[in-house]
Parts: sequence; C-alpha cells; structure tokens
Amino acid sequence: MTVFSAPPAGAVFFAGTHNGRRGTHTLRMDRITDLKQTLTALKRRLPAEDILIFSFRSADGRAFACVYADALTDKDLLGEQVLSPLMRYRGAPAASAICECVTAPEVRRCGSLRQLADEVLAGNPVLLWEGMDEAASVGVKKIPVRAVAEPPTDVVTRGPREGFVEDFKTNTALVRRRLKTADLRIDTLTLGERSNTAIAVCYLRGIAPKTTVDAVKARLSAVEIDVLPDSSYLTHALSSRPHSLVKQVGTTEKPDIFCAKLAEGRVGILADGSPIALTVPYLMAEDFQSAEDYFVSAHRATLTRLLRLFALLTAIYLPAFYIAAQLFKLQLFPIKLLLTIAGSIRDIPLSPSLEMLLVLLVLEVLNEASIRMPKYVGMALSVVGALVLGETAVNAGFVSTPAIIIVAFSGIGLYAVPNLIEQTSVLRLAMLLTAGSVGTYGIVLLSAFVLLYLVTTENFGVPLAAPFAPLVRRDCKDALLKYGLPSLHMRPKSLLSRNKRRMK
Amino acid sequence: MRLKRFFRTLPAKLWILLAAAVVFAFFSNDFGLVDIQKTAVILAVGLDKTATGYALSAEVAVPKGSDRTTGGTSSVLIEGEGETVAACVSELYEKTGWVPKLIFCDLIVLGEETARQNVFDCLDYFLRSEYFSDSCLLAVCEGRAADLLATTSEIDDTSSLAIEKLFSDASEKSGAVMKTTLREFARSYYGVSASGYMPYVRAEQGADGSGARTEQGGQNGGQDTASADGKTIYDAAQTALFQEGVMTALLSERETFAFSLLNGNVYAGTLTVDGMTLSVLKNRGSVTLVPGEAPVARMKIDIKVRLQNRSESASANDVALGRLTAEDEARIGEALAERVGDLWRICQNTGCDLFLLRQALYRTALSAYDRSASDLLAVVRPDIRVDVMGVW
Amino acid sequence: MKLSSRQLFFFLAAVAPVGKLVLMPSQLAALSKNDLLFPAALNLLLQAGAVFCALLFARRGQTLYACLRERCGTVFAKIAVCVFALFLWLAAFVPLLEQKLLVQNIFYDTLPSYIAFAPMFVFSAYLCAKPLEACGRTWDILAPMAAIGLLGILLLAVGKADYGALLPVGAAGAGGFARGALGVADRFFDGALVLAMAGRFEYRRGMAWKGLLCYLAGGAAVLFFLATFYGLFGEIAVFQVFGFTRISKYFSGVTVLGRIDFLFIFALAFAMVFYTVLPLQAGVTLAREALAPRNPLFAPALACAVNAAALIGVLAVNFMMTRVMQVFSGPLVWVFPVFSLAVPALSLLPRRRRHAP
Repeated sequence: MTVFSAPPAGAVFFAGTHNGRRGTHTLRMDRITDLKQTLTALKRRLPAEDILIFSFRSADGRAFACVYADALTDKDLLGEQVLSPLMRYRGAPAASAICECVTAPEVRRCGSLRQLADEVLAGNPVLLWEGMDEAASVGVKKIPVRAVAEPPTDVVTRGPREGFVEDFKTNTALVRRRLKTADLRIDTLTLGERSNTAIAVCYLRGIAPKTTVDAVKARLSAVEIDVLPDSSYLTHALSSRPHSLVKQVGTTEKPDIFCAKLAEGRVGILADGSPIALTVPYLMAEDFQSAEDYFVSAHRATLTRLLRLFALLTAIYLPAFYIAAQLFKLQLFPIKLLLTIAGSIRDIPLSPSLEMLLVLLVLEVLNEASIRMPKYVGMALSVVGALVLGETAVNAGFVSTPAIIIVAFSGIGLYAVPNLIEQTSVLRLAMLLTAGSVGTYGIVLLSAFVLLYLVTTENFGVPLAAPFAPLVRRDCKDALLKYGLPSLHMRPKSLLSRNKRRMK
Repeated sequence: MRLKRFFRTLPAKLWILLAAAVVFAFFSNDFGLVDIQKTAVILAVGLDKTATGYALSAEVAVPKGSDRTTGGTSSVLIEGEGETVAACVSELYEKTGWVPKLIFCDLIVLGEETARQNVFDCLDYFLRSEYFSDSCLLAVCEGRAADLLATTSEIDDTSSLAIEKLFSDASEKSGAVMKTTLREFARSYYGVSASGYMPYVRAEQGADGSGARTEQGGQNGGQDTASADGKTIYDAAQTALFQEGVMTALLSERETFAFSLLNGNVYAGTLTVDGMTLSVLKNRGSVTLVPGEAPVARMKIDIKVRLQNRSESASANDVALGRLTAEDEARIGEALAERVGDLWRICQNTGCDLFLLRQALYRTALSAYDRSASDLLAVVRPDIRVDVMGVW
Repeated sequence: MKLSSRQLFFFLAAVAPVGKLVLMPSQLAALSKNDLLFPAALNLLLQAGAVFCALLFARRGQTLYACLRERCGTVFAKIAVCVFALFLWLAAFVPLLEQKLLVQNIFYDTLPSYIAFAPMFVFSAYLCAKPLEACGRTWDILAPMAAIGLLGILLLAVGKADYGALLPVGAAGAGGFARGALGVADRFFDGALVLAMAGRFEYRRGMAWKGLLCYLAGGAAVLFFLATFYGLFGEIAVFQVFGFTRISKYFSGVTVLGRIDFLFIFALAFAMVFYTVLPLQAGVTLAREALAPRNPLFAPALACAVNAAALIGVLAVNFMMTRVMQVFSGPLVWVFPVFSLAVPALSLLPRRRRHAP
C-alpha cells in the first residue's frame, strides 16, 4: 500500500471562494481530469493526515487509487467488496463498468472534486483510476456509534425504551421503523460550513401543514453557522422570539414520542451527531405530558399531569411566597405555623430574603456539581450537601430549617417537569427576587407579565399556550387532563393539521 | 441609523434596568418593610378603663427557638396606656420597639369597668383598622382584663389560648357558652336593635384541685379548666347583655343555656331537670315577631333529648328502655319554658333587644316600626313553646 | 391575532364583574343602605344595553375610528377618537386608585411605601403597548380564574350571610336610590370598552344577544355578591371596604387551615390587574389607530406616557381618595353616561347612504 501523507510541493491547482452560502464552494477548476492531477488536487483539498490514499493496479495494469478517511472506513469491507474485484478487473475505464465490477451495494458516481471531498469526509472511500471520466464513491463507512439505549432523561416504567443516538442513520432508521408509510418524508439538508452536518426534516405528508414544513425548511436553510455540534443550536433559528426565556421548540430523545408527534402534525428535526430530536410547533402543555401517560389508564395520567402542574407551580412560587409572607404579609401563614417559623428564624443572622437566596444558590450549585461530577464522587457530594451544608448550617444557625425544607421541596418539584427546568429555575429566581423586593403584589405582577408573554407568543402560527389560550376545547382532552384513547380520535386542532381525524 | 439601533436595543436595555432595580430593591428593601423579626404578634388584648383613658394589655406571642422541646407557645403581657386605644397601641411600640401586629389577635377581653360604658368608645379602633380582623372573639371579664390575661392555666401557657378554648365550636354546641365576634356585635350595635351580648369570663382559683363542673355537666361545659394546686379556672358560662353598647345585665348559666336553645345552637349539650340528666341530641329554636296591635314574640324550642342519668334508682326494664315518659317530657318542657321566661323578663327589664325584635319589625313592617319601635319590648307579649321529644 | 367571540363573552361574563367588587359595595351601602342592589342593577342594565349596542355596531366589521372617518371625515374622526381615548383614560383612574388601596391593604400587613404600587405601571405600560387584541387570550385564562375566585369566596361566605338584612325594600327611598346609582356610575364603562374593541373581532350571528346575556350573567353574579356582602355586614357594610377580600374569612375552615380564602382573593386580584389596565390599553389602541397606525414606536411611547401620567396622578391624589370620588360622582358625573351609554347608542345611527354616481 502506498500512502501519500502530504501533497506534492507547488501543486496548486484550485482555490476555493466562498459564495456566501454555507457548505458550498464554487471552484475555479472543479472537474476531474487525470488520476495524478485529481489525486494531487484532492490531497490539496484534504491535507489531513488521516486521509489516506491506497494505490494499486488492476489485472490489466490500470492504475487505481482509493482515497479514504482512516477512522471512518470499514477496511474489511473495502478490501473484500471493492479492492479485490478491482484488482482482478480487466476492462474499459468507463465509470459505469468499474461501478458494476464493485460488489458493494452503495456505489455513487462523482463528477466533481467537491463531491469527492465530501464523500471522503463522510467516510465513503472514493475510487480514482487512469483514464476515468468520472470517479466513484463506495458506501463502506464504519462510524463508531453508541448503541441504542434508554435515554437517561426520559425513563419510563412502561412503554418503549429505545432512545435516539448520535448517528443520523440510526435515528432515521428508528423513525422509519415506527412509521412504515410512504407519507413519512425525511428531507435532508446540510448545515454548518465546516461541520457539514446532515439535518433531517421529518414529517408526514398529508398531515403536517405544508406551511409549517416550508417555514421550517426556510428557517433552517437560513442558518449560517460554521460548526453545528448539536441540534439545540437550531432552536434559535426555529423560535419566533430567539432571545426569549420561553421554550418554543419541543425536544425529545425517544423515537416513539417523536413519531407520535409527527403523527399529530408536527415537523421533526434530526441532526447528525445529536440524540436530541426537535419538534415544532411546540405547545407548552407538551412538557406536562409524558410518554407513559399513554400507556397507563387515563385517570392515572390525568392525576399525574395535575401533580406535575402542582409540583411545578409550587416549586416556582413556594420560595417566593414564603419570603413575601415573612416580609410583607404574615397573614399568609396560619398563626401556629407563623410562630414555628418565627421560632426557627429567631437567631438567624441573615434577612429572610437573603437566607432563601443563599439556600437556593447552594441548591443550584449542588445540582450543577452533581450533574457534572464523576459518579464515584456523587456519594461524597450527597454527604457534603445533605449533612455538612444542610444540617450543620442549621445547627450553626446560618439558615433555618423551614428555608431548607422549602428549597428542597422546590428543588424536587422543578424536576417533576424536567423539560422545562431551564425556564422554571430562572423564573423561580425571578419570583424570589421580586417577592423579596416588592412582596406579594410583585409576585402577582410578575405572574401577570409571564401570563401575558406566554399567551402572546406564537411559533409557526401556533400559540404556545394553546389549548388553554386560546381555548381549544377539543385539544383540552389531551392537555392537562387526559381522556381515554377513544376520545382522542381527532388530531390536535391547535397544530393546524391537514388531516383532522386519526382514529375512527 | 443610530436611532434605529437605539430603539432596537431599547427593550433589552429596559429589561436590564428593571432587573437591576429589582435586585437593588431586593438587597436594600424598605418598602415599609416590617418583617417577622421586628413584629410583636399579638394574640389577645385586654381593655380596661383608667382615669385618663384606657389601659391595653396585649398578650404577645414569644416564639420558642429552633430547639423546640416543650411545644406550645409562650407569651408575655405588655401594657400600654393612653387616652384612646390607638394611643395605647402606640405606647406598646414605644415600649418594646416591636411593631404590634393585631392581625392575629383572636380575642378582645373587656374589663368590667370598660363594659359599664359604651364599649364602642374603645372598639371603634378595631373597627376602623384595616389591619385587624373583625372575626375576633369578644368577651367581658370580671374585674380587670389585664388581671385575667395575667393569670396562667394548666391547659395552655398562654391565657388567651386557654380562654379561647372556652369558645370552641364544641363549647358552643354544648349550649354552655354564647360566643360572639366583633363583626356580629358591631352589626347588632349599629342595627336598629342596638343590642348584643358577650360571654362573661371569670377566673377562679381552684381550691381543691377537683375542678368545677357546669350545671350542664358535660365535657363541653362552660367551665373549661380545672386544675390542681389552686391554679386558675376560667368560666364563661354567664353571658353579658348589652344595650347601646353598655352592659346592662348578666345572664346566669341557666338563662345562657336557654338562649343557646333559642338560637338552635345546641347539639351535644346536657341538661339537668328534676334529677334527670339529659343529653340534647338535636335542637331547633327560633324567635319570631308577630306584628299587630298586640305584637307577640313567639319563642319556640324543639329539642330531642336522651336520658343519661336519673338520680332515683330505676328498674332494669326502665334502664334497658331508657325512654322518657310523656310526663317527663312535659316536666322538661316546663322547666325550659321557665328559663326562657326568666330570660325574657331580663331582656324586658333592661331594654336589651336580645332577640332583635326591633330589627324583625323594621324588616317586615316598616310603618309599624316607625310607630312602636321605641317601646316594643314593653308591649310585646311572649309566647313560649317548648317541644321536648325523648329518644332512645 | 383577533379577538374571538368566546373571548369577548368570557370578558363580559367573568372579567368585567371583578372591577365592581372593590370599593363599590361599601360605597353603595353608604349611599343606598340595604337597597344597594337596585342602583347596582340599574347601572348593570344600562351597561348591558350599551354593550348590546356596541356589539351591534361591531356587526359592521369596522372600528370606531374607521366608521367615524367614513361618516364624518378624517379630522373629525381623529378628534372624536382621541376624546374617547381620553375618556377611557379618565375611566381608568378610579379603578387604579382602588387598586392602589387594595394593594396596600390586602398584599401588605402594614402600610407600605407609596412606591410599592409603582411596579403596577411597568406592567401596565407593557400591556398598553400591545394591541387590544392581545388581551383575548388572557381572558381565556382569567375568566375561569375569576369565576372560580368569585364562586369560592361566595361559597365560603354564603352560609354566614343573613339575606334578611336586605329588607325592607325601598327603605333608602328614591333619594338613596339616585345617590347610589350616580355615585357608582363611574365603575360602569363596559359599553365603552366593547365599543373600543369593535372591529377587532369577527362578528358572528347572534353575538349581540349572547354578549348581552353574558354581561347580564356577570351582572347577576355582582348582584349576588352585593347581597351576600350586605347580608354579612348589614349596617357595618359602610366601612367594609375591599368587600371581596372580607366576606370569606368568616368561614369556619379558615380558623383551622389559615386564610385559605386568599387563594380565591388572589385569583380575583390577578384578574383585576388586567381589568384595571384595560381602559388605559383601549385608549392607547384607539389613539394609535387614529394618530399613527404605521409607526411601531408610537404605541410604546404613548403607553409609557399615559402610564407615567397615571402614576403621577395616583401619587398626587394619594390621600384624597374621598375627594376624587366626590369629583367623579359630582362635577364629572355626566361624563360616564355620555361616553359609556350615549356613545354606544349613537354608534348605531344608520350609515350615510352612498349615492350612485
């Protein structure tokens, strides 16, 4: 095997100019000529050391070269299905004849250098030979892929446990496996000037509104970014208010949820390298639903959804009301509770608001550390957090027991709706600051502002607060309440689906 | 162009400004802030008349520390004096440095002297205050209110909490206590009847530790606490009557019970008549005015009673049946009618329109009210009907 | 975004009544004593008529400004709509003062600094900068909230109320009735609000009748509230300001669980925040349409200016609530019938016929 590790000196044939659109280049000279020149040009374009060239000759003495990315190619398959047949090859140099000789199922002809480079970078080896009119690429890539597993953020006790992985093809396969219909469209596009990340826009033709599909594609196409490491980078492009705290794009790691959302008329977006799938249009009520709600009885599902709402509201409001009550409106406490609290905070050096802020910050730090910290340190962290910081701080008189209880409950409550944690933790802090400064009325005003903001936010023509504001009675059957499956025979009206009925 | 950019970024700048203001206010808060640590939570107040005005005794809750081993609430009694109640409250502030919070005050005890004059001279403050709950209980006490609140009871370290137990729903259902709130009392006072009532609380030293028992005798009786070692016993079985804000009479325990029955309050009380102790299972009572040339106050009591105890020995069969005879029922009815009659006479003699007859006349016959409101109690004839039904 | 008929009905049935629960009950009790229901009912009926007229006007699918411009020309339309907007801003003044007093009393245990109410104007400016149509969706949330709040406090209070206190009928006499009717007329401007919304929702068949019924249903709730309020307090109702915060605390469960009624009170107070700002917002929307419909900065600027003026006004009359009430029920008493009754009625005048060329 002959390996060129660097291009020959002085061999400058091409100069790429950026035309203002990501991922595409216009070349002054981009056509394939003879083997040596093409190889040199290709190596010039792909100078990385892991891009290797294997040169060999066929049985009739024709020179061949195979260019491939070292870590991305399945060399066994390459040797077995490509190189061996070609080494025995005797025939014309036409691309069609060469492609027929190769036994690999996925062979593509490539007419330009750019195409060749893209194929190599995608893990598909390209074949060049003496006297060629076109080159060929062979789909024998072998990308290291994580196995399909249950996503840690979306664990269920009943229902499918598969989760998306980082591999684009695996993810599309997981979707296709569940929606075996010709109506499932997976339109791909490439984003990221340097990452060339494959993006799949998935939807069900005839169900997803065409306007939404077109709008999604348009917004994605307008993304100008050099590297797209994760699908979450696309949420800004897909949001009508990109700077907003409010979530406007749905996320899921589970193909079953993804497919269910497509079936409701949403458009899904998969990005290569990301296990997080995005769905639009997004309704806030989505995050109060879990996959399991559809696998248990409707009564249980309703109860758990209401519990999630209760937990979330309590988590946001409890610290704020506790502070506001202590500072401004003692009457919010029953007298016995008031006296207990008064007894607890009697010797605390901090003001109630500062005390609560401090405990909340400690909780956030613990939370952040416990996520990032190696698992084997987790136990130590729990001990430090719970015992040292918690109990000792109370015993030392730095903080009071009620403050710890309230923050602990609030901390747990937020995780009842894990998909909204980014928003709700900020909102909780805002509520706390407002309660500590303006009091109970501040909480009312901030809530009024949040309500107004939520109800006036729309994305892809769908109000975020639907089906409550605007009230869509039909959709309320599967929002906070969960009716039995026979009652859910229509698709959500809020999503403007083209096909209204999903069940007879 | 620059202007355009300015306006484009203006919302973000305003948000930052607003957030900064909130954070600043959070750390340097003073919007009239009186937090829990600067507050005196007043559980009860006692009001006594002095030569120059009033003396207000406030029972302030003192929370125990976080190391709570004893439970309950301790309290201190702080006194303030002044020409008006507001002045007394201000003096409390000056004396202690704590801001007195009356919003949790559940009991106002008026000293006997205070009740001999128009009580709204002092209750006026509480009615005006936005930061006082008019659902608080009212009571008159024997002697000075300050002395009553200064006593201690074994039931609760805090005297006001022990006294409040006298006014529990259970006590009210026993018929032993007639409780009232500031709102109810003020309604009666400002209404056309201008009459009202309050429980009359006495503190007695328990002599032998055996404890006192009410005439009604049950566990919900009018006397709440019976303590050993001569500690204080509170008793609210009597009821003070008020006419135009001034205490005019005291109802005895028997009359208070009759009043309770007329109000239809009694569901678990006990009654002793001619050696029979009966438990009242159900009670309906009403006082209606029949207007006319000779107006009639129709007082009606329906009670269902069960025999609990008889002072004479009975046959095994009688014990097993436990039934009241018709004669027994008649005797009970007569005894109750007599009590109601006594009650009516007290009202008539003192001019206290306890049954709000003037109000009833005002509501139903405005012209008749204009003619005869002033001497209504004198001309009205009582018609007392008691219907006793023994059950077993 | 347009208002939907359902949202408008929600507003009329559940949001509009909450503005009548603050000082009006005690004020009516002072003016009309136990006959307080009659002046309230008269005002409600008149407003129901005005709402009906405004809804019939909305059938034309035009806004007030567009209609006036078509009939009377641009200059007159601009002046008339601006005067109408001024009325709406004036109408917001008493509710704002009520709100300020309410905040000081139910959200704080001790009298807070006057500036504690100032954040209200920040929210108000934000809401005013948005078009009137944006309110529709808030009513979808606020209406059930207000309905539950009102129902909750009434349920807690109804057992303790003595409805006999409303007898004898007519004790206050004609004078009391007239004083009551005129004294609280400044709380009834819903007809004007609906007129300001005309053209911002699609009229559907029978909407005027349905709107009328919704408003009457809300009015009935207000009357029941007033009856319960007087039934609870009787002669002392006069000094029971902020009636809706007071009637529910006598429920026996409150002594056990603490002030659970605050849940309902806060729900009502929350809806009240939006209702208080609504006239300001309606005024800004009308003024923007008439003066600078294409300028995106006009509405925010005007919203800030109006709210700054309102804040200054509220602070200026901080200790003069009674005086303000006297002015509104005295020299300014004619303003409300003219703008909230006569104008909606006049809006039904037939269109100018267009002659064929």
